[in-house]
Amino acid sequence: MKQQNELEKIMFHPTGSDLKPYEWMMRPTRQREWIDDKGIFLWLAFFFSEIGAGLYFVSLFYEYRAGIVLGWLITLILGGLIHVLYLGNPLRAWRMIMKPKTSELSRGIWIIGVFAALGFLQIITSGGFNMVFNCIMGILCLLIISHGFATMNVIRALPAWSSTMVLPLSLISGIWVGSQLLQMMFVLGGSSALASGMEVWSEAFFLIYLLCILLYVWGTFHANEIGKTSIDVQLNGELSKIFYAGVGGLGLVLPAVLTLIMWGGDTHGFLIFLRLVFVLAGDLAIRYTIMKSAVYKPLI
Amino acid sequence: MTYKTDEILEDKWVNTTCGVCYCGCAARVRVVNGVPVKIEGIKESTMGGTGAGLCGKGIAGLMYYHDPNRIKKPLRRTNPEKGFGVDPKWKEIEWEEALEEISTRMKKIMEDNPNKILFTNQTMRASDGPHNHLYFYAKAFGIPNNGNFIIGGGSLHCGNAAHMLGGLIHGAWSIAPDWRYTKYVLKWGSSKGTGSGHSAMTNARLRADSVRRGIKEIVFDPMGNFAGGKATQWVPILPGTDTAVGLAMANYILNIRGEIDELYLRAKTNFVYLIREDGTFIRDEKTDKPLVFDERAKKIKVFDDESIAFEDFALEGDFEHNGEKCRPCFMALKEHLKQFTPEWASKISTVPVGTILEVAKGWVDNAQIGSTITIEGQTFPFRPVSSVTFRGSQGHSNGIHQVASIDLISQLVGAEDVPGGTMGWPSIRRKYPGGEYERLPKVGKDGVIVPSVFYSHDPWPVHAPSYPCTNSGCVEFWSHSTLSHIPYVKEKEYIQEKFGVEKVKPEMIFGIAVNFLISNSDWDVALENFKDCFVVLSDIWVNETDQAIGDIILPDTSYLEKDTWSSEIDSFFFNGSPSYEDWYVHLQNPVAKPVGESRDFMNVYLDVANRVGVLDKYHELLNGYYSITDEKLKLKPGEVLTWKEIGERVLKWVYGDDKEKIQKQGFATWHKPIEDVYWRWNMPTRCPVYMEFLIHDRRAAEKIMKDTGFELEMDMDQYAPLPDWFWPTSHKELDDEYDLLAFSYRDVLHTNNSTFQNPLIDEVSQMSPYTFTITLNKGLADKKGFKDGDIIWMENKYGTKENGIVKTMEAQHPKVLGVCGQGGLWADRRPIAKGKGSNFCKLLPSYLRHYDPITGNIETSVAVKIYKG
Amino acid sequence: MPRWGMVIDVKRCIACWGCTIACKEEHFLPPRVFFNRVLIGETGKFPTSSKLIYPILCNHCTDAACVEACPTGATYIREDGIVVVDDDKCVGCRACLVSCPYQQRTYYDQKVKEREYYPGQGKTEMELIGEKLYPLKVGTVIKCNFCSERVDEGLKKGLTPGTDDVATPACVIACPVGARVFGDLSDPESEVSRLIMEKKGKQLRKEFGTEPAVYYID
Repeated sequence: MKQQNELEKIMFHPTGSDLKPYEWMMRPTRQREWIDDKGIFLWLAFFFSEIGAGLYFVSLFYEYRAGIVLGWLITLILGGLIHVLYLGNPLRAWRMIMKPKTSELSRGIWIIGVFAALGFLQIITSGGFNMVFNCIMGILCLLIISHGFATMNVIRALPAWSSTMVLPLSLISGIWVGSQLLQMMFVLGGSSALASGMEVWSEAFFLIYLLCILLYVWGTFHANEIGKTSIDVQLNGELSKIFYAGVGGLGLVLPAVLTLIMWGGDTHGFLIFLRLVFVLAGDLAIRYTIMKSAVYKPLI
Repeated sequence: MTYKTDEILEDKWVNTTCGVCYCGCAARVRVVNGVPVKIEGIKESTMGGTGAGLCGKGIAGLMYYHDPNRIKKPLRRTNPEKGFGVDPKWKEIEWEEALEEISTRMKKIMEDNPNKILFTNQTMRASDGPHNHLYFYAKAFGIPNNGNFIIGGGSLHCGNAAHMLGGLIHGAWSIAPDWRYTKYVLKWGSSKGTGSGHSAMTNARLRADSVRRGIKEIVFDPMGNFAGGKATQWVPILPGTDTAVGLAMANYILNIRGEIDELYLRAKTNFVYLIREDGTFIRDEKTDKPLVFDERAKKIKVFDDESIAFEDFALEGDFEHNGEKCRPCFMALKEHLKQFTPEWASKISTVPVGTILEVAKGWVDNAQIGSTITIEGQTFPFRPVSSVTFRGSQGHSNGIHQVASIDLISQLVGAEDVPGGTMGWPSIRRKYPGGEYERLPKVGKDGVIVPSVFYSHDPWPVHAPSYPCTNSGCVEFWSHSTLSHIPYVKEKEYIQEKFGVEKVKPEMIFGIAVNFLISNSDWDVALENFKDCFVVLSDIWVNETDQAIGDIILPDTSYLEKDTWSSEIDSFFFNGSPSYEDWYVHLQNPVAKPVGESRDFMNVYLDVANRVGVLDKYHELLNGYYSITDEKLKLKPGEVLTWKEIGERVLKWVYGDDKEKIQKQGFATWHKPIEDVYWRWNMPTRCPVYMEFLIHDRRAAEKIMKDTGFELEMDMDQYAPLPDWFWPTSHKELDDEYDLLAFSYRDVLHTNNSTFQNPLIDEVSQMSPYTFTITLNKGLADKKGFKDGDIIWMENKYGTKENGIVKTMEAQHPKVLGVCGQGGLWADRRPIAKGKGSNFCKLLPSYLRHYDPITGNIETSVAVKIYKG
Repeated sequence: MPRWGMVIDVKRCIACWGCTIACKEEHFLPPRVFFNRVLIGETGKFPTSSKLIYPILCNHCTDAACVEACPTGATYIREDGIVVVDDDKCVGCRACLVSCPYQQRTYYDQKVKEREYYPGQGKTEMELIGEKLYPLKVGTVIKCNFCSERVDEGLKKGLTPGTDDVATPACVIACPVGARVFGDLSDPESEVSRLIMEKKGKQLRKEFGTEPAVYYID
């Protein structure tokens, strides 16, 4: 955010953005509730739900119980708890199941509920990894992965969120991050063969992930004037540092370098760990910039 | 979200009068459990906006009561040093101590010369009160005229020229379009109907209806904001050059198009008076009345000879009287106007020739000269064109010529105080049925209207400049200043010495704090001129003036706590509805108990008058002011009454048996006859459009200047009977370095600077793009390398500078900078106001040459250079 | 059943902010919380540019994005078209707030509640009584409710909203230039319907597709 000059500080109450109070909704105006102040919880909540479900999802393919347990816990305990912390009236959180017909948020709660119950069943039953169960859980995982961005995606008022590439990007990033987590778990669990075998998937998902980000940026930029403004804020505006360092550097360039080093399955535990750290940071960064850069169209 | 009605123990609405600006709109306040919580207008009253509407700042007025920064006890300065940035080291003292000190000092001064006491006058009413009473309060102290007032608030930026002409032409303080019937309105640097000016919301309501009706509104203004932004057509113009366009239009009407209301000019103006070669009137030897030529009788007669029919007054012709050649002064006008071509006016004003011609054509086309209208069975001339001006265009060193040329346009087509035309505020105030107080204008010398009430200095009859002067305002010399400018002038001491005032050097200032130090011109000059006085001010806060030079600050009640029964009784000539609407006269009822130990300044004034020994004199003056003849109601010698107790008597006199009813409902209403509204043709007066008195004034003034060796620069050519073009001082100071003109304007949200301390107004001011910023034309900003949000410095030729935040706009003349008045505040005890906006006033140089030599109006535009901060 | 709506005459409006401030007093709103605002801008180029003034408030949309987004049903459209928030049901997720393309909602949290009109100087009597008379619930979203308290109370007394002051939204009666008209959009004879027809009333940013009940005429 641009530094207010000394006169502005005295005359105008800070608006939380570059805008002065008289520019509110007269120039593209940034959404604040879902990222600023306590809104930062929502960013974390979406992130944890996504990576937890991602891990669960990828673990299903390996029928890896530790993976689904950890994924289940991350989604519900970290994702769920932080979600509730964000709410103004957490004790009433149960009310959010009331409107699945129209509210994406409400639908998300239902999905999480079903995921929690069925996931628990899958974890505790010895024959939990059967085709049907896996399919159902797989679908639930994908829904949860995309829940955060789907909630944002339905908001027509914010073109940067309702862009068509938001959902694919979210799905791919969830699976990508989930796969990285699982790979790390394999390393930690001493299954280096599995970890190495997964690398081919990592390569593929990384490339798709990269493509999705490029498509998101390109698509949103060209969708309409307001989408363009949002991308402009990310690339040239107040978020450019986070975008280039976080999304570009941590999320793409460094994982790319590490992926190239390990190309063909020549994996290394520490490098996988490093890549995971970068990927997590990069994922947080892309989520942050998308949430923070969404602007409303001026009213006149 | 619902109301907890069970928490409400008492819920009432109190009718009162708004006190946030000088307009005095009807207002009612909701008081719940003793706490004022909401303000609205009064639906039943036409004093103000549509229905129960009231403007934003009026509604926000609540905060004057709730502000924790209100002074609760009298304050005494303990640090003898005065000045900006000096801590006065206030000490709270008891009322008795304060009043004793004040009256002891006053008595001592009065033994010497009462003219050594200056009184302040207010043009805003945050603390409000009976504004008129201050003038004759001063008289009770033995101070003869208006020279001992320091004008604050709106200061000399508004008024002197506009009020002088309003008084001379309409017998009223100001002018407005007859919104109800007009079709074509020209506004010159005035925001009448769009939020400012007198009766602001009354006019806004009437204007809104008339724009819906489809009138054309053309606004000449450097900025397309309040007035220009709402106009049918905004015409960007350089500040202070309206005269040029006005004169070119007058030339078009009279000489090019040749369509004028001859009958009106013959019957209602002094253009028929015969002048000799030097321009002065030929007067009848016996009666001293100006002479006219009766075309039917082919005879020269006195102007008010009843044997002459209106159509027989000669407008043209060469005559001879007692061997002296003479002609109607209309001929002088006709010749005089020929020099003012649209091309010439365009060069000065930057208004395109085509626009000038188009507007002038629209004016004549819409004037419907010769037409009549019948309203309620009465027939009047119908002239649905109106040309109005106020603060913006009149606030220049050529102010009187600005307003006179703008008025001339209406004169030529007879659009004065007739349906659709240019209206004065009510000049006739008939008595309330069953009451006694009545104010009727008189026909004065030379047939000129003498206003029934006028504040401070009567515009007519005029007095030629004389000396020695008896007070610091030197009003004997500046005989047309409504309120004197001299207290602010840089060369004050030189002037006072030349005009023999040095013996009455002011020693004390007593009055209402209107922040006069920072609201007129160069702050340092004002500080220098006032700091040696013992300054006693009544205020609700400690404002900048209080902090810099106040010795004793008395806690005043805000308008929400006052019982100002008198507030509107006599202010009809600037506050009543100028339209054909019934009379509504409001009382100011207290809606809450006084904050802390605050006291209504009027009670303090009475107390001081009693201690000083002039209370009986004041009572006598008050009896005279309201012309009370009923012995029972008269204020008697020896009586000591509160302001409320005095009100009980006066209201009985004014409203008779309905007094109680009116007090209860908070206002009086009665019918205003239509002939009192459109009075022009019912009153045998003539507009002194040919200001012949200025020729005599010039001679007298020049003689005094010669006799006293007075050498300061004054544009004596301005003492001319016909409106003429004179460059404003600010334009003369433009050069390659100081290449822009800064000007200020009124924002609908603010009344001078008191409103800056109101948090409800402050937060919406921040949402208003031009209120706290300095505006400049987008193209100009690009050229100078400025963009929105930059810090900009404006500096005048005398090294005074002010900074602010840039806001670019398209709708601004590319050679000007716009600042909304009186921000840039710094008083420590007004934390909301502190640092908000920019202060324009300090940039105005205060040399005598920056004032209108005739009216004392200050030049309100200034040549500046700008640079980045 | 009526369908309440509003017509704002921007030709009349002089941007005095009366609506904004009256609304704040009516609902005892804390600093920097607005149910009514005025947007001021300009269009065109010098010297033919013109000033734009748009008073804005909740549009009480027929296809309200906020209602759709609300997961609890706290935000709903009453039968008379007024969009309200039931603060007993609101969980404070702010999906409504983020969804509103007109940005007419405010999240009322502890920080907002603690704001003082005179910062650091304590709350005034007006702010304190406001908290008692018109308590806003922390952790919920608040918004313009077309002064439904006035409308409902007025109807109970047999008054007509839009005609009788006490039954009409505070911003409407506060307007000193009569720029606001409130009434029943479902009644073709009502003044609002007539003005929309005659003056070709336009909704602000119709392209958002939420079908506002606030119309502007010029």
